[in-house]
Amino acid sequence: MRSLARAALGSFRLAVRLRVVSPWSYLNWLVFPLLFAAVGLYVLGGRGATSSHLVYGVLGGGLIGYWSVAYIDAGNGIQDERWNGTLEQIFATPTPLVVILLGKVLAGLAFGLLSFLPTAALAYFGFHAVLPDLDPWPFVISLAVLTFSFFCIAITLAPLFALWRWAFSMLNGFELGVYVLCGFMFPVAVLASWAQGVAGALAPTWAVRALYASTLSGGPHDYALWWGAVAGLSLAYLVGAYFLYALVEREARVSGELALA
Amino acid sequence: MRRLAAEARVFARSTWLQYVALFQWATVRGYFAYKVLLPITQILFFVELGVYATGRQNALYFALGNALQLTANAGIFGVIATVANERQFGTLPLLLASPANRLVTFLSRAAVNVMDGIVTVVVGLGIAIVLFGLDLHHANLALLGVCVVVISVTTAGLGLMFGSIGLVMRDAIIIANVIYYVMLIICGINFPVSRLPVVLQIVSYSLPLTRGVEAARQAAAGASLGHVSGLLAGEVLVGVLWALGGYLVFRALEGWARHGGLQEAY
Repeated sequence: MRSLARAALGSFRLAVRLRVVSPWSYLNWLVFPLLFAAVGLYVLGGRGATSSHLVYGVLGGGLIGYWSVAYIDAGNGIQDERWNGTLEQIFATPTPLVVILLGKVLAGLAFGLLSFLPTAALAYFGFHAVLPDLDPWPFVISLAVLTFSFFCIAITLAPLFALWRWAFSMLNGFELGVYVLCGFMFPVAVLASWAQGVAGALAPTWAVRALYASTLSGGPHDYALWWGAVAGLSLAYLVGAYFLYALVEREARVSGELALA
Repeated sequence: MRRLAAEARVFARSTWLQYVALFQWATVRGYFAYKVLLPITQILFFVELGVYATGRQNALYFALGNALQLTANAGIFGVIATVANERQFGTLPLLLASPANRLVTFLSRAAVNVMDGIVTVVVGLGIAIVLFGLDLHHANLALLGVCVVVISVTTAGLGLMFGSIGLVMRDAIIIANVIYYVMLIICGINFPVSRLPVVLQIVSYSLPLTRGVEAARQAAAGASLGHVSGLLAGEVLVGVLWALGGYLVFRALEGWARHGGLQEAY
């Protein structure tokens, strides 16, 4: 157990170092969130804007950045190894693949959390926007729950992107659709009912709902229900991931075709 | 005359070769993901954001703005990749060694992407009509078409500039991402330019799209060519200046690379 923890920590440290020198990393956690936060704050902070609108402007950019890092950086955990030519070595080591990925995904999420710093600074200094009704504990727990859902999604996407390269292109093209369905910058309630149904199948949707509820005094505050929905959906993703990892192992070790996929 | 015909042949050949070798969406799945899914979701996201912030009555403002901004998808991403990929794919030394006219080969980089940009905007407008009921009954459609063509050409001009800069960068596509999304903020796509700080307004009017989108909005409301000719002339001038700047940077980098033997250095 200790050796596995040490391997995960080593993977975490290496992933952090790689992100520190990667311009893509800065694009995802710093530039993208700032750009989206700026658009959001301009659009949501127009004349007569309510405080609930501004809350979406303050947190929306950070959520978008966090998601981008989670699915691009962390989700490409296996794919990166293929691009770097280290995929075979990873599979040849006695450490289970999932342990190595654990460290990489956690490093990605740690960088993703940074997205909230520049966007909050932009909101405060550029637009004098704050979160006046923030309820700290539900906010912190909701953020932790959101992190758990992103973790599960990244763990699930990693084998998916490795097995089928086109899956990343599709999700990348649909990125703004995820912003819509997860309610990153406006509530899902404004969408058509069928779209709300689709959104309900996504774990981050419920976590984001809880997060925004913790910053608003009005509206429902069914935290337990929302956190429970996140936990249930995220675990369902992990069950799917289990089968995907089995497929990855087979492609890598039995047929030896993963590097060519 | 013979020389002109030879240059035209170089332009056509270069356009064809860059299309088959460097057009980065030349797969069905890639094209669908970045040229169909992305436009749909971009329009959807910003229209819903705008509707939430300002009310359903303003949906068309956001739909039209974002449909027009989609031209930057080809003009910025496509052109930057087409220029900068020469280095990534290892063909830059061959290009620099060829005797072909530099201006002709340089401008040919934009040709396919301009056409693709026009197609993307038409797709975007179609999406805006179907999903959000964009009403073009009173629009001056011919003028709107002219605006779309002009915007596609001018954004490609900006793409040529940053594509040239990308020749000395490892990840030129990062610039493309930044430029693309900056244009969403400062070119009057989702809110009027007048709401920006003065400095950013100056930047905004020094970029393509700003005047073109303004002209297209007026054309969509039924304005005549006389009303928007100043805006379109300004848009063309800005695009030409960016393309010219790009060409000068390209030549300067070429000289620098030849001098130091740095064609493939990162």
